[in-house]
Parts: sequence; C-alpha cells; structure tokens
Amino acid sequence: MNQPASHAPAVTAKPIKRISRQERVSVFWTLLLIVIAFIVLFPVLWVGSFMFRPDSAMFARPTEWLFEPTLVHFRYVIDNGFIGYLGTSFALASISTLLVIVLGTPAAYAFARFKLRFRDDLFLFVLATRMAPPICMVIPFYMIFSNMGLIDTYSGLTLAYLTFNLSFYIWVMSSFCKDLPVALEEVAILEGYNRFEVFLRVVLPLLRSAIVATGMLCFIFAWNEFMFAFMLGGQQVKTLPVAVPELITTQGVRWGPMAIVGTLSLVPVMLAVFLLQKHIVRGLTMGAVKG
Amino acid sequence: MKPLENRWYPYALLAPAFLVLVVVSLVPFLFAMYLSFHQVNFGRIGDFAGWSNYSRLLDNERTWNSLWVAVKFILIAFPLQFILGLGGALLLNKRVWGRSVILPLLFIPTMMAPIVVGLVWKVMFAGSWGLLSYNIVERFGLLPGTSVFSSPDYALIALALVDVWQWTPFMMLAFFAGLQALPVSPYRAAAVDGATPMQMFFRLTLPLMAPLMVVIGMLRFIDAFKVFDTIYTLTAGGPGTSTEVPSLFAYRMSFEQWRIGESAAFAVLVWIGFFILCSLFYHVAKKKLNAF
Repeated sequence: MNQPASHAPAVTAKPIKRISRQERVSVFWTLLLIVIAFIVLFPVLWVGSFMFRPDSAMFARPTEWLFEPTLVHFRYVIDNGFIGYLGTSFALASISTLLVIVLGTPAAYAFARFKLRFRDDLFLFVLATRMAPPICMVIPFYMIFSNMGLIDTYSGLTLAYLTFNLSFYIWVMSSFCKDLPVALEEVAILEGYNRFEVFLRVVLPLLRSAIVATGMLCFIFAWNEFMFAFMLGGQQVKTLPVAVPELITTQGVRWGPMAIVGTLSLVPVMLAVFLLQKHIVRGLTMGAVKG
Repeated sequence: MKPLENRWYPYALLAPAFLVLVVVSLVPFLFAMYLSFHQVNFGRIGDFAGWSNYSRLLDNERTWNSLWVAVKFILIAFPLQFILGLGGALLLNKRVWGRSVILPLLFIPTMMAPIVVGLVWKVMFAGSWGLLSYNIVERFGLLPGTSVFSSPDYALIALALVDVWQWTPFMMLAFFAGLQALPVSPYRAAAVDGATPMQMFFRLTLPLMAPLMVVIGMLRFIDAFKVFDTIYTLTAGGPGTSTEVPSLFAYRMSFEQWRIGESAAFAVLVWIGFFILCSLFYHVAKKKLNAF
C-alpha cells in the first residue's frame, strides 16, 4: 500500500497541495452561493409557509415568524374545485405538448438537414410567431374563436397554445438535429433504408432525450401560460394560473389557498429544472446558446 | 449527403407543421390586419375604415405613454439583470460544491408561472402588512402613507425589480454556459505572461463573451417588451397609467373599452416591430454565435 506512494513522491506532492488550496477557496464561494440562493428563494419559501398559516398569522404586525400550522386552507382548495383546475391544466399542457412533438419533430429535422428554398424566411416566420407578444395574438383569436364557438373549449386553447409552442419546439429541436452526425444517416441509406425509415429508425432514437427535454419545456410553457387561458378559456376550461387571481374575492384575498395553488403549480417546474439542467439554457435562448 | 437529397421530401416533412402554423399564426395576423382597417363595435365588424384606426391610435397619448413606460422599465431592469447575471455566472464558474443542486434551484424564478411570481411579490409588498413593506419600507420610513405598488413614482421601479428577480437567473445561466465554453489556451498563455485576474477578465473573458452577450441581451430586450402577467397581478397598469406597458395598454383598450379596431391596429404594428427585431436577432445570432 505504501510502496506506490513512496515510489513517486515528487509527482504526487504537487497536485495534492494545489487541490487542497482550491478546496479551501471553494468553501467560501460555495457558502456565498448558498446564501445567495437562499435570499433569492426566500420569497417563495415565505409564501409557501402561507399554506399552513392561520389567517391571523399571515400579515401580523410585527411579523410572526412562528405559528401554529393549520390545514384549513387545503379544505378550501379542495371544496372549491381547484383539483379540477389542476386536472385541466395538466390535460391541456399534455395534449398540446404531444401534438407539438408529433408535428414539430419532422419539421425540425427538415430545417436542420436540407437546403430549403426560402429557408431563412420560413424560419423567421416561425420565430416571429413565437416572439410576438401574446396580446397581439389574443385579439384576433378572440374574434375568430367567438364566431366559431371555440371560446372555452379544449380544442380552442390547444390550437392557441400551438402558436407559441410549435414554433418554439421547431427552433430548439432543429438546433439539436444539427448536432447529429450526418454519417449515420448516409450509412443507413447505403444499407438500403428508405428516407422515411432513416428518419423513423435512425434519427428518432437518437433524438429521444432531446425530444423529452424540449417537450418538457413546452409542457412548462403551456402549464404556466396565462393570457390565452384567461381570455380564451372560461368556466369549462380553466387552468391553474387563471384560477389564482380569482382568489382575490370581494371579501378580500384568500392568501392561504393562493399559496397552495401557487405551490402546486411549482411541482412540474421543480421537476423540470432538476431534470433538464443542461437543456434549459438552450431552450430559453431558442437554441442560440448550447448549454 | 447526396442520397438524402430529394426535391419534395423535406417539404413533406415540413408540411403538417407549416399548415398548422399558417392556421394559428398567419391567419390571425391577416385577420388582425383586416380588423384594423374596419370599424369594430362590440365584436361586430362594421364598415371599412381606412387608416382611421391607425391615426386614432397614433394620436392617443396612452399609446406613446405605454412605449415610454416600456423603455423606462427596460432601462431599469436590463442593466441590473446584466451585471448581476454576469457576477453570478462568474461566481458559479468558481470551484464550488453542489453546483448541480444550486444551479437548478436558482433557475426557479425564471421557470415558475409569471402569475405566481406576481403573487409572491404581492405578498411581500402587500399594503402595510407584507413582509417587506412592514419590516423595511415602513420601519425605515420610506414611502409614507402609501404602499410600493400604489405609488405612481415607485410602482414601475418595484415592477422592474421584480423582473430582475425573475430574469437574472436566466442571464446568469446563459452567461455561465458561455463561460464554460471558453477556450482554455488563451488563459494559459496569459498566465504564462503573468497577467492578473483583472486583466484576464477585461482583455480575455469580456471580448470572448461579447457575441454571446449581444445575443442574450437582444433576446432579453425582446422578451422584456412583452411583459404582462406580473404587471397585471401587481398593479394592473396603475396607478393611473404609470405602469401601463404596451401589452397592458392593448389589453385594457381591447377588453375593457372594446376598441377592437384600434387594438388590432396596435397588434399589427407591434407584430411588424417584432418581426424586425426577430430578424435582427436571427442574423446577429447566426453570425456571432454560429447558431441555427
């Protein structure tokens, strides 16, 4: 055991010394980072504590840091149909995400692989669809939907969600497609696959994790979306973000239930940030920055 | 690539998605254009109106006010996001433990529903009893007799700070990704030449990061212009029109006053503006980052 160490003391001594110095430095930066993260997330934790706070302890002056927890707000959330809104949010986000994946993956692949006429113009059209403020879309959508009876329907909102999510998906996925080596597809062609088989059997399996990551971001965007759901939804199709402002009632704001609904809406977001670490930056920059 | 080339194949792959995009975005755009040239009364499309919707929109003080509010909002929020984001990225780039846990946690403000962001800050600054309004604003005698979001002078600043809280993590992680991708060799050479960390930062890191910074900055600028959800929950554009950003102005004009014709004109103009901004972003990102 000791022999190898004494064998080459001159070689091992230096790196060990360097690493230990770096480790000492890193304790300081790590602590600083933890403190920053705590300060940044403190408002979220504070509001989270409202889930269990009795109304009297919410805005007591001076601030009450400790309180006797209560479950009364959960009762209110369950009795007032919020579980249903949760289901609506989930269904809507899932349906629109699945549709986006089915429609968007071939298009993204086509953008990444082939020389297309008007490629830049088409691509820009897709980007502008994504970037325009939602209010610009909502005004014509509202007029069209109310004439066609699509207000407050799943199909109407799914259609509306395609405007931002499909274009987002095509952009980000095409940046992933570009990272795939062409050689594999060429080999597959030489092996006798036809073009469609190449896409189905070679490209799709390679894209699996990219599809999951980008699809998850689409899910989050649909899950968090407010403007479309607010203007084009209604009593039948009401998502969580739309239900939140409704807790501001004539008898005052129901802060406890609000905190619960807010926390519920955070669950998929938490999942996404932990599972998608590397892909989030690429997603949020439309594929311009590879995380 | 020869065997894959084919005249119609890529278009066949594109067709379903494009058909849908035409329906969900080109059609609404054309319809908005149609509306903007007509009189629309309470949802009914009336006579052809020429440019009158546009001229009324451009004569309206609130149109220009909303643009000015957006400019002020961006001027307050953007520099802070940029500097804090860069600082955070440099910090993340140090040798720290547990980065894979802290990094996603820091991303939460950017990824959570903007409507919930609004709710969180409503709680923090509520009336005179919110955590921050009681313990800081009131204790130190700032803003006597009013709360932050109902003060015409400070509401916009507070909203911009909420935006900073929400979007600094994004800037930070984008810059961090850029730092991680920097080449090592220039730093080695600089270290051999005896450069100080400051010199390395200003002579190497900043110039190498510049293209990324430009692209991220543009993206943030485009995004900041369309902020709606947080402002809707926190001030709803008030007090008066002091925090009425373009999206909120268009919302109030269309769904509170039902001036759909003018709103459609507004939507068309903003849309065209965004098309120009996006094509700028696209060409800059393509050239500077070799993206797309």
